[in-house]
Amino acid sequence: MMVGVSLLALGLLFQLVRVQFGPYAPIFADWAETSAGRLERLVPARGNIYDRNGNLLATNATRYIAEIEVRQLHSQSRQDIATTMSELLALPFEDLKAQLDTDWISVGQYRIRLTQKDDKGQTWPIGIEKQEAQILFALQEDPLGPDLSGLDLVPAPRRVYPAGSLAGHLLGFVNQEGKGFYGVEGYYDEWLSGRPLTVERPIIPPEARVAPDPPAGVNLVLTIDSGIQQTAEIVLREAIDDSDAESGQILVMDPRNGEILAMAAWPPLNPNDYDEWLPGGKPSVGESDKKESDSEEDDEDSDSDKKDEDEEPVITPGVAGQYEPGSTFKVLTMAAALDAGVVTPLEQFIDTGEIEVGGHTIRNWDGRGYGPVDMIGCLRYSLNVCLAHIAADELGASLFYDYMSAFGIGQITGADLAGEIPGNLRTPRDPLWTESDLGTNSFGQGVSLSPVQLMAAVSAIANDGFMVQPHIVRQVVGPQGVFAPKTTVLGQPISTDTARLLTEMLAISLEGETSHASLPGYRIAGKTGTAQIAGEYGYDPRWTIASFIGWGPVPNPRFMILVKLDKPESSPWGSVVAAPVFQELAERVVVLLNIPPDPAQMPIAGAR
Amino acid sequence: MTARKKQAFRQTPWRVQLKLTGRTVQVTVVLLVVAGLYLAVNARLADAGRQVLVLEDQRESLQRATAELTAQYAEQTNPERMLERAGSLGYKPADSDEIFYLQVEGYVPPPAFVAPRPPSSRLEGATRLSPAYTETLGEWMTRWLTPD
Repeated sequence: MMVGVSLLALGLLFQLVRVQFGPYAPIFADWAETSAGRLERLVPARGNIYDRNGNLLATNATRYIAEIEVRQLHSQSRQDIATTMSELLALPFEDLKAQLDTDWISVGQYRIRLTQKDDKGQTWPIGIEKQEAQILFALQEDPLGPDLSGLDLVPAPRRVYPAGSLAGHLLGFVNQEGKGFYGVEGYYDEWLSGRPLTVERPIIPPEARVAPDPPAGVNLVLTIDSGIQQTAEIVLREAIDDSDAESGQILVMDPRNGEILAMAAWPPLNPNDYDEWLPGGKPSVGESDKKESDSEEDDEDSDSDKKDEDEEPVITPGVAGQYEPGSTFKVLTMAAALDAGVVTPLEQFIDTGEIEVGGHTIRNWDGRGYGPVDMIGCLRYSLNVCLAHIAADELGASLFYDYMSAFGIGQITGADLAGEIPGNLRTPRDPLWTESDLGTNSFGQGVSLSPVQLMAAVSAIANDGFMVQPHIVRQVVGPQGVFAPKTTVLGQPISTDTARLLTEMLAISLEGETSHASLPGYRIAGKTGTAQIAGEYGYDPRWTIASFIGWGPVPNPRFMILVKLDKPESSPWGSVVAAPVFQELAERVVVLLNIPPDPAQMPIAGAR
Repeated sequence: MTARKKQAFRQTPWRVQLKLTGRTVQVTVVLLVVAGLYLAVNARLADAGRQVLVLEDQRESLQRATAELTAQYAEQTNPERMLERAGSLGYKPADSDEIFYLQVEGYVPPPAFVAPRPPSSRLEGATRLSPAYTETLGEWMTRWLTPD
């Protein structure tokens, strides 16, 4: 017996040594590792996005992915899973059954994700919302319910935007794989998403240890004020309804530091439901949102007339959409001329109604000649001829384009939103440039830029000559602490004196030109714009882009507003359709920013 | 073995059996004690491991529930709903001419909102057990035999 026990012990010892050190030791080690746990990708929670007052704009919730443990399937469960899911989620039974009947084990797959096809034929994992998942969980627990053995609902993070379409264009969205696109989600994707980790998750209890936490994504606090954003969106929607415009944008910025307070765009984008904005999709502009409109059929007719079939919808048009600014650009031409000292505010210009620059005849917007006018009059009546004269005869091409370059025209501003475009400005260095470009560029034709680019350039006039970089993030909050980006001055294209002088001229011209943009109790400077729309075969005579850019209160502005309406039908003119929108919004903005009217700025308590 | 002992075992063979039985029982008891200790330790380890797994699941589930509730709360209080609720209660946005501005000496505006910090990461290295608890006999022997 002793001999037997000894032999057994020796055999065991030999086997131990063989397993540990023999030629098959690596294979045994692999087996041990495989059975000890499974590799799991730990994805940290994506960072939240807040507005400047702490209102949550983007956060995370849970959805469930339908996975199948193939070895637990049998004929009844295949049938029951396909039936239950097709009825609950309105999915094709045949497709589900085919996936469940496939012999996955023969190709070495023991766990699969059930998939569905979208309208474009792309295959996606089936995502199940919380309510449906709860029903499935209840059915799994029910002994009398369908046989769902093998079905496993795996929780997965889902990005949600609690405010719906509020600031949707600005936020961008996150796709099913957790990647951010457009706007803030696109620009700060890597920061928000953190760093996923792949770890071995033990399945044998004695091997279990606390799983590591992957580095979490940062939380962002935006410069956006939800109150102003909401007001801007309401005002824009009403303006679109009133003017029957195709689309539009409103930007509100603090010209002192470049903080974007609101960025509204129409048609609205709800990041919770972004599918229609993907390439090939057509956003449902507001047939549902525009339900208040009385003449819906008429709207559809005119919309189809306006819309270019090849035109893809632009997401975050505030930075990614380019347009010809028209007369709002004249403030930059006038700023350059005043700064260069080639004109003075009261200098007289005899307006004959037309001027020839580079063989191209330029006329005023109404074709009239205004006779002797000073520079304030040139801005007040928005005279193309006067501005073309200033650019061509007073400034000259070299100086004009040097100033435009200093204003950042044709360059990106570096605003922290994905998809910013640089716009386009042909200069004499460009082989396609002609002298006539100088004349047309002077009043904003033949030059394209993004709304945010115009805001940045004009901020130099509102901000004592210093051009600030528009930005959207106020704080980046990570595990290590809080980082607050500082104001970035992009440059000083004009002197402080010029900026103040031009602001005064614009305030005076606005007081005279139109009451549509004036605000009782506040001094406002601004400029209207009406631009033709360039197409493949020249300018489309039917449609315009009506806009207004203004800031206040002068001389210490705290807000700058750009209103832009594309293809308005009620009137083509910026002074008629865009200026009142500015006025309506500015009236609310001064309240939301707690800006007292001029008399109350004096230290007298109780001033109204 | 001396001749007297051999004679004694011949006369009373039960003594040999008793001796053998005693030694076998001795070995068995030692083995049982070792096995018992091994089992007890492993049972506690398994129990602790099971608790870790359960607690991890609970933590994930609670994190999901918290995130879900946070999202629901934000949806319930989003600006559109708040505007609707304010409207239904008879409020309307104040016009600029309805507002009185007062200069209050010593008034300190509320501090700017600061977002909560995301949780600090706990990387794999921080959660790894000492090799003394996880290494195999072979690894221990290799380590022991390998000169530093």
